[in-house]
Amino acid sequence: MSALSFELNNKPDQRLDLSPLVPARLAGLNRKQVEALPINTTRTKLTVGDAFKVRGKDVESLHFVGTDERCDKIGAGLAGGEIVVEGDAGRLLGAQMKSGKIAVDGSVGVLAGASMGGGEVAVRRDAGDQVGGVAFGETFGMKGGFIFIGRDAGALVGERLRRGLIVVGGKAGDYAGGRMVAGTILLRGGAGRYAGYGNRRGSLIFAEKPRHILPTYADSGVMEFDYLRLLETWLREQGMRIRLGGRARRLMGDQAVLGKGEMLILR
Amino acid sequence: MPELKLKGVNIVETFAEAFPMVGTRVIITAPTAEWAMISASTMTGFATSVIACGAEAGIERILSKKETPDRRPGVAVLLFTMDVDKLQTQLRNRVGQCVLTSPGSACYAGLDSKKSLKLGSSLRFFGDGWQTSKVIGGRRYWRIPVMGGEFVCEEKTGLTKNAVGGGNLLVVGKSHHAVLAACTRAVKAMADLPDVITPFPGGIVRSGSKVGSKYAGQIASTNHAYAPGLKWHADSELPPSAEAVLEIVIDGLSADAIHEAMHAGIHAIARGGSREGITHITAGNYGGNLGPHHFHLKEIVG
Repeated sequence: MSALSFELNNKPDQRLDLSPLVPARLAGLNRKQVEALPINTTRTKLTVGDAFKVRGKDVESLHFVGTDERCDKIGAGLAGGEIVVEGDAGRLLGAQMKSGKIAVDGSVGVLAGASMGGGEVAVRRDAGDQVGGVAFGETFGMKGGFIFIGRDAGALVGERLRRGLIVVGGKAGDYAGGRMVAGTILLRGGAGRYAGYGNRRGSLIFAEKPRHILPTYADSGVMEFDYLRLLETWLREQGMRIRLGGRARRLMGDQAVLGKGEMLILR
Repeated sequence: MPELKLKGVNIVETFAEAFPMVGTRVIITAPTAEWAMISASTMTGFATSVIACGAEAGIERILSKKETPDRRPGVAVLLFTMDVDKLQTQLRNRVGQCVLTSPGSACYAGLDSKKSLKLGSSLRFFGDGWQTSKVIGGRRYWRIPVMGGEFVCEEKTGLTKNAVGGGNLLVVGKSHHAVLAACTRAVKAMADLPDVITPFPGGIVRSGSKVGSKYAGQIASTNHAYAPGLKWHADSELPPSAEAVLEIVIDGLSADAIHEAMHAGIHAIARGGSREGITHITAGNYGGNLGPHHFHLKEIVG
């Protein structure tokens, strides 16, 4: 069965709420019913059929083609299945998703993977602020699963992160790991200022020494971490060859809060 | 009289009687293969028999770097007891005292099952509040700060209630030298097989036991029917030519694994034929009334 695809016809004059386009909501609907689903975010009504050319059948495998930064909430609340985005995505991509996979060819807006509980989000290019951050109405950010950003990410990567892993291939903005509770953030291209601000028990792994280290992080020096080897092995199994090695310098903080978090600066 | 012969060695038409056990597997890694083996050997030390050791344990096999979760050299260890509570206690004590303490070691689950045994989830308290956990790929690992750096231990490991203990082979020969050589060969052949261990020293028991004794409170005593020095006695099961009998005891995660191991063992023992001084291969049983698993040598050879 071919993937159910949604090709954007023309740029609509409002932001789109694409949260209804997930396997659980589409199961059992025929083409007409799918096309009749409302996706407007203003008082001007807009349906799926107005904005997209719909093809294919398999609701477990969804393709969005030609989407742009105003296509919000793609895969929000996803609970299984696979979504491929051939284009950009707006805010709240995969927010509060529980399982399944989302792969984006382009860039995504703010709050990608916000408060997600599980599953996988992979973005090939850039991401906006608050990757894995706190979705509206939630108290924690990402609570499980895996987010991969191929290039740069905005501010507050992993804000209030509770569990799970975020990998940023490029540079992250200010406050990376801000107020994180636990979980792991791997920053391959460094971060802006105030990384790990308010970190309680989380791990921030830097591939290279960050330019700014908060004074509330206490240096424990260099040692071996078998945990990094486990992480490297797992990443490799996911098809990502990221060398972490076993040695890192450990700074513990944020001492202004619980102080059981860490920055691991790879050697 | 035995009818079946393998290269002149008599295969006695009897069976090994074995018992249900509960078992688990853990994987121990270390910076070098040598240290992984030291850690695993220590953990499986004094674990020959549940009669007085609390558990039966042994090294299942050496793992290459590619096979371990952290890509360091490792060893797979099997641990067996008679019930789940004892298995839990033995696992906690042995990993806690022998693996946690071993330089550079880490300990991971070696079995997946619905019900599980606590591993890092009880040892983490050694961290005195400094322990942290990490979930990688859906599996939780505890990181416990120790003097040598950090002890990483997976939160739990699986168990099986289908394990079998007490699969055995008795090897009778014309000299101690010949029997020891044949048994050593058999243990080596079994060492290559998955899911089994031979928990006794070097895999071989020289003091097979029977249940009970003439002395009150002695729960096991020498299997006098197979002691060559007592061949004169009416209880003796040995031919006049027998000078020594050694036993190989096998514990496995399944009855099939024991079957495979006994098959490999019998053929390795008989490889030298009767010319090398092995006269009989037999097995220990209690008349079939105690253990539900009966491994008939005749079926195993075939």
